[in-house]
Formats: sequence, structure tokens, C-alpha cells
Amino acid sequence: MLELRGVGKVYPNGKAALHDVDLTLGEGEFVFLVGPSGAGKSTLLKLLIRDELPTSGDVILDGRDLARVPRRKVPELRRTIGIVFQDFKLLPTRSVRENVAFALEVTGTPRGRIRPAVDRALAVVGLGGQADQLPTTLSGGEQQRTAIARALVHEPRLIIADEPTGNLDPLISWEIIQLLLRINELGVTVLMATHNAGVVTALRRRVVALEEGRVVRDEVGGYHRED
Amino acid sequence: MLGFFRFVTFSVTRGLQGLRRNGLMTLAATSTMLLMLLLLAGFWLVQAGLAAGVQYVEQKVEVVADLHDVPGAEGALTVQAVALASDVAALPSVRSVTFVSKDEALSAFRDRLRQRGQVDLTGYLDRNPLPASLEVKLVDPRDYQDVVQLLQNRTHVVDDVVEVQKLVQQLTTVTGVLRTGGFVLLVLVGFVVLFIIVNTIRLAVVARREEIEVMRLVGASDAFIRWPFIFEGAFVGLLGAGAALAILAVASGPMTDFMYGFFRVLPLELGSLQRDVIVLVLGTGLGVGILGSWLSVRSYLAK
Repeated sequence: MLELRGVGKVYPNGKAALHDVDLTLGEGEFVFLVGPSGAGKSTLLKLLIRDELPTSGDVILDGRDLARVPRRKVPELRRTIGIVFQDFKLLPTRSVRENVAFALEVTGTPRGRIRPAVDRALAVVGLGGQADQLPTTLSGGEQQRTAIARALVHEPRLIIADEPTGNLDPLISWEIIQLLLRINELGVTVLMATHNAGVVTALRRRVVALEEGRVVRDEVGGYHRED
Repeated sequence: MLGFFRFVTFSVTRGLQGLRRNGLMTLAATSTMLLMLLLLAGFWLVQAGLAAGVQYVEQKVEVVADLHDVPGAEGALTVQAVALASDVAALPSVRSVTFVSKDEALSAFRDRLRQRGQVDLTGYLDRNPLPASLEVKLVDPRDYQDVVQLLQNRTHVVDDVVEVQKLVQQLTTVTGVLRTGGFVLLVLVGFVVLFIIVNTIRLAVVARREEIEVMRLVGASDAFIRWPFIFEGAFVGLLGAGAALAILAVASGPMTDFMYGFFRVLPLELGSLQRDVIVLVLGTGLGVGILGSWLSVRSYLAK
């Protein structure tokens, strides 16, 4: 469903972030994206949501070349992708339910469709009971689950998670990973950038390793090279 | 259609929320707006007063021709003057001609003295020193050349043509300069206010940077991001305009007195002036508010 062909990215300040990256994600895959800070992980994720455009090569999502998607159509594109961040990006003055509903409100979803969709998403992440609390009264894990519910509410086929466990302790991190795996089992493709070596190594999923803007490894295995 | 209604409701609600949540900034923007609008309205009123003053003077103005004053020949001169008067009246640019005799001129002069409370010394003169004159009223006050020329040619009757029009033209030039200068000043003030409004709303936008970021990430279209801020700006404009109009309404009594005292005339009928000022203040407030928001959100959307 997602394909990068010979993708390179040089920022206007001259800094080259990616070189000749080839990467293909199949429908329903769960893929870890690993690599040291500054390896180009964030740049790669930004290309997928068309927050940045590649300076060379193509990014193809569901058969569409993202560089050819007009600016006007970018919002519609983003509704097909769920995004989760390390710092959750929740709105502190809105309840869990309102945070999730926000994603639908600002995209013009009819009111009658918002409530059931929000309830469904909250049920998936197991936060039905905390729906009316403010994010600040929740634990880090619960906040991240709220963010995941928000990413799910548009029923995307692809979830992009940028260091989703970066701010969480190991036990809670496992909870979040379990949640993402369950969502993956529902048929959603998941691409997760992470530094969490323990999780990556234990799960034995496909791992794409970036170093200095190049794909240096793409195989099922652990966080580090194993040969 | 239903989608559009939803969009408008969403934008208005969020615009109002924005006003409440950024109370201090709303206050700053609104008071700046208020000051500018008061300045604008004040300028407009003074301008209207000046215009009315000029118009008033123009209406009173006529071309006056003083006639020769030869002792003993009054009768013959009067006959010639009446003949000249009918010639002048035949000109298309003339509305009416009045012959003012020496006696009438003297009694008018005495009236004026009495009105000012000055001592009338004309009784001590051995003869009436004032000349008879022709007072010509024009259809269009600016169209005086023909009359002046005709009068100046009849040198055997006319002693001197007093061109009040020249004075009026000088007056008009002065008010024109005032008007242009005031307009330039107002445009400058307008720019400063727009700049301040843009900055104030930009602060509101920056305060909600995270919200805008989330909106963009979950796929909100530019319109959904932009319009709440536009409505917020429009509300600031409306608030400022409302406050300005309220102040003007309270001040209108003393202001009218001042205008009358200053310009010696009541500028226009008050009805149309009021309507103009209301339209001007509301329009400018809304316009600057909306333009300011548009400019400040734009930089966040351009990507």
C-alpha cells in the first residue's frame, strides 16, 4: 500500500536527510523503523503525510504519487492516515472524548456520526470509562491511548507512530505496543519509529533500520544486526 | 448545504470560544480598534463640518459690483444700473440680480453696527459714503467668470467688482489641503492599527499553535482552520465599532454644540451624517478585523 522509490530529501538549508531510500509496506504489515537520532526517521514519516516533499524519487500511497496530490487535497489524504506522537499532542482544555471528537469536528463530520465513532475508538483503546476526564488527570499511558483513539477515529488503513513509547516507562510501553498490535490485527497497517530495543527485539517483526539517511537493513529480526 | 451550515456553526462557535479564552488579547485588540474608529469618526465629522461650512459660504456668495458714486447724478446712474441689471439677469449662469441703493446700503450698514453693539457715527457724515451696488446670485457658485467680465466691461456704471468667489476658492483650497492631509493621516493610522490587530490576532494564533498543528495532522481543511480566526477578528471589529458608536452617541450632544460653535453652521441634516458615521465605523471595524485575521493565519497555512 505504501512504496518509496529512490527517495532523497535535502532541506533548503542544505542538510541531506535521506539518500535513495527504497521501501515497500504491504497491506496489514507491522513494521518497526529504527535508527539513531538524526538518521532520518522523522523526515521519512513527514514525507508519508506529505508534510514534506521529497527532493528526488517518489512516495506512492495507495497508488497515488504524493508529490502530485494538490495542496487542496492534502487534508483528505491525511484523514486516511492516523498519526501518533511521542508527546501525544492532546489539547489540555478538552476532555478525552472531546479530543477524539475534535478530529472529526474539524473535518466537518456530521454530529450524528461523531458520537458513535468516538465511542468505538475509545472502546478499542479501553478508555470508555475515562471519556469525560481531562488529559492532565490521566497517566502517560492513558494519554497515549487517547491519542491513539484520535488517530483511529477516521478509521485509517495506515497508522504512523513516531516514538509512541518515548515518554513512557517500560511496563506502560508494553501496553501501548500491545494496543498497536491489536489494531494491526484489525487489518490496519502500522509503521512505528522507535528507540525501544527491548520491544523490537522481543517481537521479531520486520525491522527497517536507517543510518545517516540510508536504509542499512530491512529484515525480520531484532533491534541490532544479529549476524 | 447542511455541510456548509455545520461549517459556519463550527467557525462561529470556535471564534467566540477564542474571544473568551484570549480575554486579555481580545481587550487589547478591541481597545486599539476602538481608538482608531473614534479617530476615524472624529475626522469624518470635522471633515463634514468643514464641507458644510464651505457650502454655506458658497451659498451666500454672490458677485457684488459697486457702482460709481457721483453726487448729483444718482438718478441717471440708477437708470443705467437697472438696465445693466436686466443684462446681467439675462445671462444663463445668473439666478437673480438685486439692486441695492445707497440708502439701502447705509441702513444695512447701520443694522450691522447695531447688532454688534457698536456706536453708529454715520449720523455725523455730511453725505452717505456708501455706493449703490448690484448683488448677483449665481446658479452655480463656481461659474462666475461671465458675470464678472460683463460687469467689468461696463466701466461707466461699475466702479469695482468684488470677487467674493476668489476668497471662496482660497477657502476651498485650504479645506482641500486639510481634507487630503487628514486622509493621508488616517490611512497611516489605519496601517498602524492593522499592524497592531494583525499582531494581536497572531498572538492568539500562536497561543493555539498546538491546536492548529493537530487540526492539520488530522486532516482539517484550510477553511476549517482559518474561518474561526476570521470570525474572531470580525467579532473584535464589531465590538470595537459598537463601543465607538456608543461613545459617539453619548458625546453627540456636546459635539453638535461644538460643531455649531466652531463652524457657525449645523453640518447637513444630522440624519444622513449619523447614517454615514455608523456605516463608516461598522464597515471599517469589520474590514480591519477580518483583514487582520486573514493576514495572521495565512502564514500558518502556507505550506
